[in-house]
Amino acid sequence: MTRWGNYINARIYIPLLTLVSLVACVTSSIPDNYHDPGMDFAALRTIAVMPFGNLTGDKQAGERVRDTFMTALLSSGAVYVVPAGEVARGISKVGVINPTAPSEEEIVKLAIIIKADALITGVIREYGQVRSGTTSANVISLSLQMIEKESKKVVWTASSTKGGISIWDRLFGGGGRPMNEITEAAIDDIINKLFY
Amino acid sequence: MILSINFSIRVFVILFAALICLAGRATTNDSLNIIAVLPVFNLSGKPAPLKDIRQSLINRFKSQGLNILDEENLEKFIVRHRLRYIGGINEATARAFREETGAEAVLITFVELYSDISPPKIALTSRLVSTGNDPEILWMTGIGLAGDDSPGLLELSLIENPETLLEKTVQHLSASLTGYLSGGKAWADNRRARKKFRSKASYRSPVLDADRKYNVAVMPFLNLSDRKYAGEVTALHFVSQLRTHENLTVIEPGQVRQALLEMRIIMDDGISLAGAESVFSKLDADIILTGKVLNYQDYQGLTGKPKVGFSALLIEKKSREIVWSYQSYHEGDEGVWFFDWGKVNTAHSLATEMVQLAVETIFR
Repeated sequence: MTRWGNYINARIYIPLLTLVSLVACVTSSIPDNYHDPGMDFAALRTIAVMPFGNLTGDKQAGERVRDTFMTALLSSGAVYVVPAGEVARGISKVGVINPTAPSEEEIVKLAIIIKADALITGVIREYGQVRSGTTSANVISLSLQMIEKESKKVVWTASSTKGGISIWDRLFGGGGRPMNEITEAAIDDIINKLFY
Repeated sequence: MILSINFSIRVFVILFAALICLAGRATTNDSLNIIAVLPVFNLSGKPAPLKDIRQSLINRFKSQGLNILDEENLEKFIVRHRLRYIGGINEATARAFREETGAEAVLITFVELYSDISPPKIALTSRLVSTGNDPEILWMTGIGLAGDDSPGLLELSLIENPETLLEKTVQHLSASLTGYLSGGKAWADNRRARKKFRSKASYRSPVLDADRKYNVAVMPFLNLSDRKYAGEVTALHFVSQLRTHENLTVIEPGQVRQALLEMRIIMDDGISLAGAESVFSKLDADIILTGKVLNYQDYQGLTGKPKVGFSALLIEKKSREIVWSYQSYHEGDEGVWFFDWGKVNTAHSLATEMVQLAVETIFR
């Protein structure tokens, strides 16, 4: 009886202990996007994409990513995107001091001039090659936010990171995926977070 | 016996006359008596033998029977009118050309790429524009060749001499032009772009009417690439492809440039709607094409691959909205698995295929 009892106890306790250990290893995931619950996103018809802030070493990164984002947003067919030239005219007319982070007053004035329902601003945090030892690969990391004209509130934020050094890159090299491919992947991810 | 000799002579005379007629049709054109060949415009961003290229073109055209405006008259005209920009002609210049030199068309040629490092690479684009009151693009084609495009077995067909490659390029351009002038279809227009260079990111508004004709003004593209003049080069690719579309009439880029200068339109980040309004009214355009070049990269030598990336959009006059938007990025070795079969060696050839596919989506 004692031997059987020990055997049963071992059969219960070992898997239980393993399960507890595994659960203890799990990290809590912080959501990387936010939707204002009080906002009706279907009411947004026209969106202006402001120049993106660029925290990377590549001077053109902001413009490149913005351009890709604008085409992808327009291609989604859900909203109309104000042409970049018209946004530039609005920025110049209002005299926005920092177009990558406009103030509340500037947002309202700008949105009225270019007839936009909301403005999207963003920051490119990483763009280009990253290195780890002898391995290198392309990476992109960006975060965007949408500010609505009427409420002057941030109604949506999202961030995405794509690329980077994978196990495959470490083992076989190859330099990772092309910059364009990961940019498109990151933007698709961000747009999915906006609509779904 | 006499009867048989007479019959042979008659047949010979008839065949000879037919041959002369055919040759005349192939080499001359009644509607274009004199063509002025402007100095070659260098868009390669690097030194190129512009005089040799122009002379090679002129020699080839003359050998094909085309009547080329003599150097003295052309030089006098250029000096008299202080013609500094040779990448296009505006209405005033076109009128003066017709009145003062008698030239009925002007040939504008661009060097997009010239690399004499083995294997050499050359890309040329030519445009024939009518003179007179309303300059109109009559013919346009571009060709990008690399010495290793078809190296053949054991590289026996590899071209290592840049002059040989230049001759080949000029021969293609001249064949296309004489093909057009003789009423045939230019050979370059028959090339089909490969589907692998299609893009997934595009938008088309229902405002665009496939049954309507539109006048298009092509703006210079904003250049975000490292390549000098990539904006102008990409705009030229669009001009070349848009004019093959039956719904579209492309306004001569020289006129567009003149309008932008007169209206002092500066495009920091693309054209604004106010700027677009002015262009619509000044040029009688229905749609404006503008865009950005993200990448335009050639390579030298044997190893490497060209890369081209651009975005383009159309703004329509009535709706004042973007009615078409397209983005594309490709590399020359896409879909190539064995021995470089199917590899594209110049950014020109890659961009030609990408732009052709882009233009096809406008009315689809």
